[in-house]
Amino acid sequence: MSEADMAIIKPEMMMKSYIWLETTDGSIQQVEQEIAMYCPMICHEVLQKGLGAGSSKNCAISLPQRVNPAMLSLILDYCRFHQVPGRSNKERKVHDEKFIRMDTKRLCELASAADSLQLKPLVDLSSRALARIIEGKTPEEIREIFHLPDDLTEEEKLEPLKNLMDDPRIRLLNRLYAKKRKELKEREKLKGKEVEERVDERSVDDLLSFINGKDHKVVKTSKSKKKNKKRKEHKNKVSHNLHSKQQGVQIVDETAASLGGVSNLPSMEEDIFSLKTDSEDGYVDDGMDPVLKEMLDREVEDFARRLNSSWVLSSGQERQPVHFSINGNGATRRLTAFQVMLGSLILLMVFGWQVPEFCGVTVKGNSRVRISGLTGTEGGDEWFDLSYIILDEASDPPKYDNVPADREDLVRDVLSSTLLFPFELQLCISELELL
Amino acid sequence: MKPGIDDQSKPQTMIQEKYTKRYQNLKVAEALSNNHFYPFACNELSSIIDLGYSQLPKDLKAFIFRDCLSAFRLLPEMNTSAAVSAANLLVKSVESAFPKQKKNLAIVEFKQAKVALKRRTKSHDEHIDLPSLPQDILVHIFSFLDVSSLLSSSQVSRSWNQATSEGSLWRSLFDLHFSHKVLIHIYPGIDWREAFKNEYILYKSSKMLRSGRGYCSYCDSVVWHDNLRCPKKQCRLKSGKKPLDLMLTHQVVNYLLGTTSSSDESDSEDEAVRGLWAYPTLQ
Repeated sequence: MSEADMAIIKPEMMMKSYIWLETTDGSIQQVEQEIAMYCPMICHEVLQKGLGAGSSKNCAISLPQRVNPAMLSLILDYCRFHQVPGRSNKERKVHDEKFIRMDTKRLCELASAADSLQLKPLVDLSSRALARIIEGKTPEEIREIFHLPDDLTEEEKLEPLKNLMDDPRIRLLNRLYAKKRKELKEREKLKGKEVEERVDERSVDDLLSFINGKDHKVVKTSKSKKKNKKRKEHKNKVSHNLHSKQQGVQIVDETAASLGGVSNLPSMEEDIFSLKTDSEDGYVDDGMDPVLKEMLDREVEDFARRLNSSWVLSSGQERQPVHFSINGNGATRRLTAFQVMLGSLILLMVFGWQVPEFCGVTVKGNSRVRISGLTGTEGGDEWFDLSYIILDEASDPPKYDNVPADREDLVRDVLSSTLLFPFELQLCISELELL
Repeated sequence: MKPGIDDQSKPQTMIQEKYTKRYQNLKVAEALSNNHFYPFACNELSSIIDLGYSQLPKDLKAFIFRDCLSAFRLLPEMNTSAAVSAANLLVKSVESAFPKQKKNLAIVEFKQAKVALKRRTKSHDEHIDLPSLPQDILVHIFSFLDVSSLLSSSQVSRSWNQATSEGSLWRSLFDLHFSHKVLIHIYPGIDWREAFKNEYILYKSSKMLRSGRGYCSYCDSVVWHDNLRCPKKQCRLKSGKKPLDLMLTHQVVNYLLGTTSSSDESDSEDEAVRGLWAYPTLQ
């Protein structure tokens, strides 16, 4: 370049050219051209409409709706920093991290605005920041942060999880419930006074038939007889053993012991589930793939086991595996029965009530179950009558000793803290008072 | 001094140093200050305490104690229920394993944290109207999320739910988690979310993802994985598309304590033995 050229160019370079930008609210501002051109959208506008565009107040470039003046100035600040070529990557990074620190509302607006101006690096930056905010939070928390309405039905919420395991199961379980309810009503009429003594037996019966009955429901008639026989056998054994027991307290002990001596646990669970899977050979009801069912059963088993393993007791003593007294030959069976009960309670909670993704279950003495939690209905506390399933007019169920005062919170947190991913419904049991 | 005693103390200190070094390599403390890793780190601390506190050398115990305290101190900043649950679990472990003095200190710290947390949630009540984000931005945001966060997002609201059903999201997740394991037949109209779900169940991914840990063979260390990849850049470049070997928490603890376990099954049973159902009443 000759001196003369330089002389000509210099003043021009000194004189920055400005572009006029108009936001939807009508306000117009003047912006250095080079900064504004950093935004692809503005760049295109200028190029398309020719040099006249934006050169004066009258023909200002109108910006998309999502860009309000506040955002515009933010974006321009961003552009002002980055359009300078001499900056190192590190500098840019540092600037960006500072830049992006703002409240969620502004972040959303910024992302929107940047997107409409097609400023991809800024879109990425703000999107990542928003993603970091969303990460690791429950839907309720996210809703709170973003002030979003809870406008999905429970069905829809469970949709992605649904076909995984819930669909056929929920149908099965609902049918089962209806059936159970009927059966119980009939039995109540028949039994009458014997109810008290038979409390344990019946509950376990119900449970077993609940579990077995699931198969029963689903298997074709030719197999049902076999199932019934098996079920009765099993029932008799268990009820016999329970009968020889006295009260809830001891049973609870046994249960605790059973959980201490967990060697029973896996085999017992296998028992339950093998019972189930046995019946599934070759049946096609409900279109449930037996392989899938088995996998799902294993998942539930896993789930129950995980619940066990994550439950931490408060006192160091209790951590020792407890040796349990063996009352005759019924011991192992007894333990099994109770595990069955608990297991099925879990099953019930998990699958029967399709509502909660996160729920707390309180089983109170008068045999009602309270399911509270994030069901989306203002905290969602609902009472369900489970008397017909487990707790049968249990008068004055024993409590545990040494329950710390803040147990409820703690237990709930312990269970939910197993970091179960949403593919498995989260369950928490806040207080279980058994028979 | 008898030579026998000298000989005994030397290998001991070496072992102690080895444990401590391993623990420091695990970088639990750093994870605690990260919003995303906080629950994972707390759970790992809990497991370490549950499974082997008594075996640890003295200085490692001190480290663990220090990290527990900082976990509680950081709790108010982590404003999620997952963090609170993890901290509760940690408290339980602390209560059962720590000696009296340390236990009390830790519990005091925890209670203070809870109070601070309560104070925070109270001051939270502004009802601003946020602009609704357009769908493609939502999808873009979701593309940075991991599986569980994506699923949580799908349950937030209708518009978010729609955005999460975008196939490309699930496709990239599928590629991230399973492409090295599974050869999938891609046909037009394939539902990537379904495909992902199927593989997820098959590979018991949720169990593997629960720890937040992976083993990177390139830097030969146990790391907090960043979306299944090693956080170190060089390792990421070397490994290309291949994700880390995920680890379970008890495997991490085994690494720390130098214990080995024969199989996965036995390990989960061991854990089950130690963690008991909450029915105390024992004679």
